[in-house]
Amino acid sequence: MEEQLNPSVSAIDPEKILKDLRELWAQLARDQGAGGVLRACSMTLIAVSEHDDALDAEQARKTIGVLMHEHPSRAIVLTLREDGEFTGRVFAECWMPFGGEQQICAEGIEITADSEQTDEVARLLVPLIAPDLPVVLWCRGPRAFLDRSLDPLFPLANKIIFNTRAVRHPSSAIEFLKRMRKDGRQVADLAWTRLTGWREAVAHLMDASPDGWLAAGRSGTVRIQHGGARPGTRSLYFARWIERALPGVNVTLSPVAGDPGMHSVVFAGAGPEMSIKLGSKGTLEVNTGERVYSAMLPADSEECLMREELSILGRDPVFERVLG
Amino acid sequence: MPDSNPFADPLRFQRQVPDCAIVIFGANGDLTKRKLIPSLYRLAYERRLPATVSIIGTSRTKMSDDEFRAKMHDAVKEFLEDSPFDEEQWTGFAKSLHYIPGNLEDPALYTAIKEKLTTLGRSSVLYYLSTQPSYYAEVAERIGAVGLGHSDGKGWQRIVIEKPFGHDLESARELNQRVHSVFAEADVYRIDHYLGKETVQNILAFRFGNGIFEPLWNRRYVNHVQITAAESIGVEGRGAYYQEAGAVRDMIQNHLLQVMATVAMEPSAVYEPDAVRDERAKLLRSIHIMTAEEVPLYSVAGQYAGFRHEPEVDPASQAPTYAAATFFVDNWRWAGVPFYIRSGKKLPKRTTEIAIQYNMAPHALFSPGEGGVTMRPNLLILRIQPEEGISLRFLSKQPGSGMRLRPVSMDFNYGSSFGERSPTAYETLLEDALTGDATLYTRQDMVEASWKVVAPILDDWANRKFEYPNYAPGTWGPVAADEMLARQGHQWRNS
Repeated sequence: MEEQLNPSVSAIDPEKILKDLRELWAQLARDQGAGGVLRACSMTLIAVSEHDDALDAEQARKTIGVLMHEHPSRAIVLTLREDGEFTGRVFAECWMPFGGEQQICAEGIEITADSEQTDEVARLLVPLIAPDLPVVLWCRGPRAFLDRSLDPLFPLANKIIFNTRAVRHPSSAIEFLKRMRKDGRQVADLAWTRLTGWREAVAHLMDASPDGWLAAGRSGTVRIQHGGARPGTRSLYFARWIERALPGVNVTLSPVAGDPGMHSVVFAGAGPEMSIKLGSKGTLEVNTGERVYSAMLPADSEECLMREELSILGRDPVFERVLG
Repeated sequence: MPDSNPFADPLRFQRQVPDCAIVIFGANGDLTKRKLIPSLYRLAYERRLPATVSIIGTSRTKMSDDEFRAKMHDAVKEFLEDSPFDEEQWTGFAKSLHYIPGNLEDPALYTAIKEKLTTLGRSSVLYYLSTQPSYYAEVAERIGAVGLGHSDGKGWQRIVIEKPFGHDLESARELNQRVHSVFAEADVYRIDHYLGKETVQNILAFRFGNGIFEPLWNRRYVNHVQITAAESIGVEGRGAYYQEAGAVRDMIQNHLLQVMATVAMEPSAVYEPDAVRDERAKLLRSIHIMTAEEVPLYSVAGQYAGFRHEPEVDPASQAPTYAAATFFVDNWRWAGVPFYIRSGKKLPKRTTEIAIQYNMAPHALFSPGEGGVTMRPNLLILRIQPEEGISLRFLSKQPGSGMRLRPVSMDFNYGSSFGERSPTAYETLLEDALTGDATLYTRQDMVEASWKVVAPILDDWANRKFEYPNYAPGTWGPVAADEMLARQGHQWRNS
């Protein structure tokens, strides 16, 4: 069950927003009567939506509403607009856990602001961050790779989640993330998260045929096929991941017709060829050289990818190794 | 071959259960219907079981594969915990279910199982004994007699044994010996589902993942510890079993001593199965063994009014439906700190919790004033079920003029802080056994150590005649249990 209070708009004053939040909780308690609601918060999640239309912010809100169930947080949905007026409002996401008797609620704040004034936005956000809990900044679109307007927000966060899926220059985007990492920031990329199903299939292939891998690791080749004329960040990450795991292997990338992203990977060495190919209905067709089977790819909706990233609040050594 | 998989990413990849078969003995029993198959279904639903897994049920009842599947379908629908049933998912899962009828004493059953495993091409097998305990050793030996139970180098063979592991020290040793004639100790998984509960595992996270609690976790600050496992229901059709087992064998020897070991153990150097189990075992061995003179002082037996009228219960039964005991741990950390443990049926409510009571502040600075309090010990409550969580009670100033104090509680609710569904204990433990992780399973030395702890109580009670019943349903047990604590200047936390 989901519930939203009538949002109250306030002037952009952090003290006023915090007061609105307190009143919101008092209202929720009154509405629920005896027993009240359970207030849950395990982090601050700041989602930056970039477009001028309201749909983007609405989509971010929807995704956050789903994420709240597993990662209850103080959510701050920040919409940056050119010449945008500063406004703020508070809201709550409530749900009844399966078989539960008491609603659980998490709080949120919606802010719109001028995209030219992110310095000021960053100052505003400081008092709105839930104290002593991790802060995750989620940059939903490619703006972070196009200009430096989001830079003032980065120091607020313990972890910054990007999405390079739609960037025009994949290699530059990866270089940008590498620099961020070298600057000590903990970064994630949903394009990398999308690879988990593929990577898991490769790891299982290794478990099934360790001898074959030994041969491939020494002198074999790995052929990766991707959709689109140029490899996107996903294919580039995947190739780097293979290279880091098996330094002796020769990895090649080649395009095939079809949607951008990974299409197949073939491992050739002394033994029989092994391959993983994109199948139908979200499956992977895995050929171990001895047998063929299907593996389900995990759902790659925005909320599923975010759910995976929010469950990793510490370092992610494998991704760090891939970034270099 | 590399030492470990260079593609492994434990942060993101789910643990992979390898292709294997699970053979459930006693597949027509309650445990299979209520816990095992619903847990396996849920693991499959979450794609934590390979699609190729084979689950072979066996029991005396004659059934076809399809009849077994239909029966399990209804069971999963009824007993699946905290999650909805998905008919489409079930259709896929049901294909992995097979059934072989047979008598546990009949060698032909084991030959049939072996043939089935060969037909299915399974070299890795988990045998789950959900039978009467008296069959455990025999089933293990008969598995061995047909050439199963030993790894042939291609896969693994493990056996899961439900409690009770024997009915005393001697029988536990005998059971171990007979099981070990087929299975190596590393392949024997003695299940204590309490250890699979998220909140019991969380005790280790709470103690050893935080810096502020462990310095206060010793005799200098802790006054005493109470561990309560209360049931509001009676024996509910298990009268025959309960009459034989009683509260000590049913709850204290296994579940509650394991919980106590988790609360009181030293930190292990690493979080690895044997390292953690070594520390648990060490703690169990450190529990003071009561002398014959100490047993009446430090233990209390109870039986609720009406137990003797339950079906299959002897009208003169001496079985305790309630047991309480005071244990001391003979080590530097806990010397002199009483651990009060109690478990009973027909108590006022269902609750399992650990209450750690701290020493009072050394000096009463504040006067009580009207309606206020002056001194109360701090209390840390670890709630195992229901409403899993942690509460810390301390004194706070009441709003208004003057300095009146009032106890307040700071609560952490496990469910609301982690909105995601927690796996049930059986899901956790089954997945652990299938992936070879024995951290939450009980080892032979732990079983023997806990039998040694309760042996003096069992011996004493077996030779006494109690005036039962001695507590009314809906109360917190016999008065003698209150007196046991009162002698130490303490009282049960009955709330």
